Amino acid sequence: MTSSEADEAFLSSAREAFRRDPGIGALDALGVWDLLDELADREARAATFAVFRAHGRELGQSAALGCLMAHPYVAGEGFAPGSLAMAIARRSPRHGEVVVLLGDPSVEHLLIDRPGSGAWIVSIDDIELQPVRIAGRLRVHEITFDPGDPLKAVIPEERAKEARRRSGFLGRVAAAFEILGAAEGALDLALDHACTREQFGAPIGSFQAVRQLLAWARTDSAAVLEVSRQAAALDLAAPSRFDEVAKALAGRNGRRICERALQVLGGIGFTADHDHHHFHSRVLALDSVLGTSAELARGLGAWLREHRTDPRIPRQLLHRGVGS
Amino acid sequence: MSKDCPTAERIEGLEPHLALAAYSEGLEKWLGSSPPSLGAAAAPNPSFAARVDAMSQLMKELFEGGWGRHGWPEPLGGLGGTILHRAVMWDSLARHGVRGMGLFEHVEILMPTLCAMAPREFMTAALPGFLSGRELWAQGFSEPEAGSDLASLRTRASAVSGGYVLRGRKIWTSWAAYATWCLVLARTGTPESRHRGLTAFIVDLRQPGVEVNAIEQANGTDELAEVVFDDAFVPAARVVGAVDGGWDVAMHILSSERGTFAWFRHGFLYQQLLSHLGCMESHSDGAVGEALLDLAAVSATSYQGLLSHESATPLGPRAAFTKLLLCEAERAVHDRILADDPDLAVGLQDDETALLRQEYLFSRIVTIYGGSQQMQLETIAKQLLRLP
Repeated sequence: MTSSEADEAFLSSAREAFRRDPGIGALDALGVWDLLDELADREARAATFAVFRAHGRELGQSAALGCLMAHPYVAGEGFAPGSLAMAIARRSPRHGEVVVLLGDPSVEHLLIDRPGSGAWIVSIDDIELQPVRIAGRLRVHEITFDPGDPLKAVIPEERAKEARRRSGFLGRVAAAFEILGAAEGALDLALDHACTREQFGAPIGSFQAVRQLLAWARTDSAAVLEVSRQAAALDLAAPSRFDEVAKALAGRNGRRICERALQVLGGIGFTADHDHHHFHSRVLALDSVLGTSAELARGLGAWLREHRTDPRIPRQLLHRGVGS
Repeated sequence: MSKDCPTAERIEGLEPHLALAAYSEGLEKWLGSSPPSLGAAAAPNPSFAARVDAMSQLMKELFEGGWGRHGWPEPLGGLGGTILHRAVMWDSLARHGVRGMGLFEHVEILMPTLCAMAPREFMTAALPGFLSGRELWAQGFSEPEAGSDLASLRTRASAVSGGYVLRGRKIWTSWAAYATWCLVLARTGTPESRHRGLTAFIVDLRQPGVEVNAIEQANGTDELAEVVFDDAFVPAARVVGAVDGGWDVAMHILSSERGTFAWFRHGFLYQQLLSHLGCMESHSDGAVGEALLDLAAVSATSYQGLLSHESATPLGPRAAFTKLLLCEAERAVHDRILADDPDLAVGLQDDETALLRQEYLFSRIVTIYGGSQQMQLETIAKQLLRLP
């Protein structure tokens, strides 16, 4: 079996696991908790991120992203697997900073990071979880948390600072993979439809205008896959802000893929009965956290302009094969 | 220590080439010594002919130093190594300000196929000739009545004693006015034979029966040409691949032109974007960031193409992704440059602006050559998505 066949095989078993159990049970079955302790290993990273792609593709409902992002703060501190998830902050133009938990809140503790003050670990029973009503199968809860005295942070700022950087990188790359999976789900629906839906006596997938929409969508997904894989392979050696590049590209392309798929599906794709909106909503929700594609792109542009930092992959890394 | 590579140690043992890291370091040292040929190739020069001369001189020195021979087969005058050596070389040249590959793009588009499929005796002279900038190459595929529908081409190759005579007309033949050799696709089968009746020939563009007429383009360069064959004789020893097997040759070339080639070209686009940051205002930040995303996409997909090429598993139809993404990135970069430098729209005041204008206008047609954007999309729809 070649490495790419092995990757495909793992992806397909991860999808199968989420079909059986869309929640945290699938992460147990896939051995994700062990993988999290081995993220220095390239193959373990590839497998971990494949789990996120499958999570998006099968509309998994676990708090996997929060669990992954909490890990760097508490590695080796004896939290039971899957018992702790990080709540993720996003910026709301109406309410300022909003902290959300993505996925099933079946965890015991939440990690809440306050950059500048440190991070808190709070029992989920002591916190107010407000379910957010959004279309799609993704459960989202807004969290109200008053940290009170910063001196009481469980993880002091000095240590949290280090973990925050790692957590952000892993979270953005994982979100890119999950967006990819969800966008692939939308594209698959459109491909099926293009082959079966007939108009003018022929499947609509035989019309060039429709074929081109789908071919562009497929090109956008190929770009997300390769850039995300490169980020996963490079990991700590990646150029500065490469996680932001991967996440921004995934958000932008993910939305484009869903929109093109919707255009191919026509009105039926915009009904509550149809699955398209589940995938589309997943992409939108993931694009909204850890920096939207618009925010990240603007930030990357400003960073380039102001600092003239070279965003390219260092040439020395070419020697080692930084592809998938 | 190889006399060809005076600045770095060779791999111990039998290989005549340097390991990648040593190659990269040694080349960097040479380029860092500011050789005059590098300065000339990096200077903005709106004259295409002058650019060809400058690049040819730089290629000559790279060849003589051994740098330009890395990544090419030893029996054909190279020093061995892989496509990653070539990737490093062009990446280094871009980072040192060389504006583009110019007509040496054909090194990467044609030579991998010719090394694999052309007669060896011919290539032992031709490969070093091209790599050293002495004898340049053109590619004669398109015809007035055969653009995207390449299989309908009509240039006729008739068998005669000792070879073939060619009769017909090629158009959009890149760099024919500057080239010595042209790889010509001609019909050896019946007019109805479509892609099954084509053969690839190496034709000397200076020989009797061949007329090259440069075409002045809308951006002021004359990179393209019309080539007329009027009973031009081609010896049998200059057939590439099998007789009637020209389609395989063409597909082999297109997989380089659409797949790996994007990696070579995108390095120059990164450089252009980075070197224009000084002209950009904060209102462009979002768009600059978007261009960076497009470049990252072409970088990752085409690097995958390099690795596939290295492991002899060609990308096949997946090369269409890379080609489309390269075009998107090229347009995005030049959109940014134009947006913050409207002098390009009107001005030819200085060499830099004149060249930028040429490059900007060219970025508007990258979606046409090497298989139009619409053909790439159709390739994906048909061969990868399997649409009806």
